[in-house]
Amino acid sequence: MDYAASEPGVAEVTPAMALKILIAGGFGVGKTTMVGTISEIRPLHTEELLSERGVGVDDTSGVELKTTTTVALDFGRITIREGLWLYLFGTPGQDRFWFMWDELAVGALGAVVLADTRRLQECFPAVDYFEQRGLPFVVAVNCFDGARRHDPVKVRRALGLDGVAPIVLCDVRNRESVKDVLATLVTYAVGGPFNDPLPPTPTPSHSHASPT
Amino acid sequence: MTGEDPGPLVRLFGLTGGRARPLGESFDLVAIVTTVSTSFPPSDLIPEHLAVLSVCRRPTPVADVAAHLKLPLNITRVILGDLRREGLVTIDRPQPAAQAIDERIYREVLHGLRRL
Ligand SMILES: Nc1nc2c(ncn2[C@@H]2O[C@H](COP(=O)(O)OP(=O)(O)O)[C@@H](O)[C@H]2O)c(=O)[nH]1
Ligand SMILES: [Mg+2]
Repeated sequence: MDYAASEPGVAEVTPAMALKILIAGGFGVGKTTMVGTISEIRPLHTEELLSERGVGVDDTSGVELKTTTTVALDFGRITIREGLWLYLFGTPGQDRFWFMWDELAVGALGAVVLADTRRLQECFPAVDYFEQRGLPFVVAVNCFDGARRHDPVKVRRALGLDGVAPIVLCDVRNRESVKDVLATLVTYAVGGPFNDPLPPTPTPSHSHASPT
Repeated sequence: MTGEDPGPLVRLFGLTGGRARPLGESFDLVAIVTTVSTSFPPSDLIPEHLAVLSVCRRPTPVADVAAHLKLPLNITRVILGDLRREGLVTIDRPQPAAQAIDERIYREVLHGLRRL
């Protein structure tokens, strides 16, 4: 104890840690906008080169990049304190890119599934994916028209959610709103209370999903 | 969408020798990269490698290294894998799963978000 206190900096040396939050949803739903609204750095927008065969194959022969496809990926950062960062990764939820999601999802704190009520079906794959992986997620309905008239209960029903994952309305262009969404996710991921019109069902009955 | 311009791809090809995956044990996009301070970097390092060694004197997540280099994440990882193989950087495993992160961290994150 004494020696730790007598050495400046030693007590401070907790390992640096970076946490991941994923932003999923269909094309044009507001992923890039959301990351840009909250990130303290100019969000990095990359076109990731992916080997079509995915990450399961370890090929060091140098031909992988010849068979690439690209996927847009946005990433932003929030510094909580020195040595503790929150990273946002936004990328489309599309079937051919699931292998990339598999990688992004490992160790992630949770996910935001962005939804546009006019095209709700576009977030189904992401919802299914996170349910099956057992990764905590919130559904954030981007209110494009600004009117908060979307009914979370109807959205929940349409998505066939079991009543556990929070559904929030948001405006991805608004910082406070994005903070709310992320805070809801963090609270939910840690098992805390959240604002939602439906009480959590005590025993979610997932007959189809097999979380691993 | 990438256009018809083959330029960037050719350049990336040069940086990675056409590899899409890093050498050695795989590592996360938010794994922490640290320059080995006692290492003796060869004098003929390419600019991207030098940039990594400079940035990572402070422990830096992979994603941030990519932002510094202005390169795609998976290309950055190939570069980092090469530097690790040369013993010039270490790459730490991040926390394995959200469930393993203790509640104090969660609370810090929550408060940090509210403060923004
Ligand atoms: N009016 C309005 N436009 C939005 C909103 N969110 C995003 N947009 C616009 O919708 C378009 C697609 O958004 P973007 O963030 O690029 O979607 P992404 O494809 O999911 O990354 C952009 O032109 C945004 O400016 C919103 O809440 N209201
Ligand atoms: Mg986008």
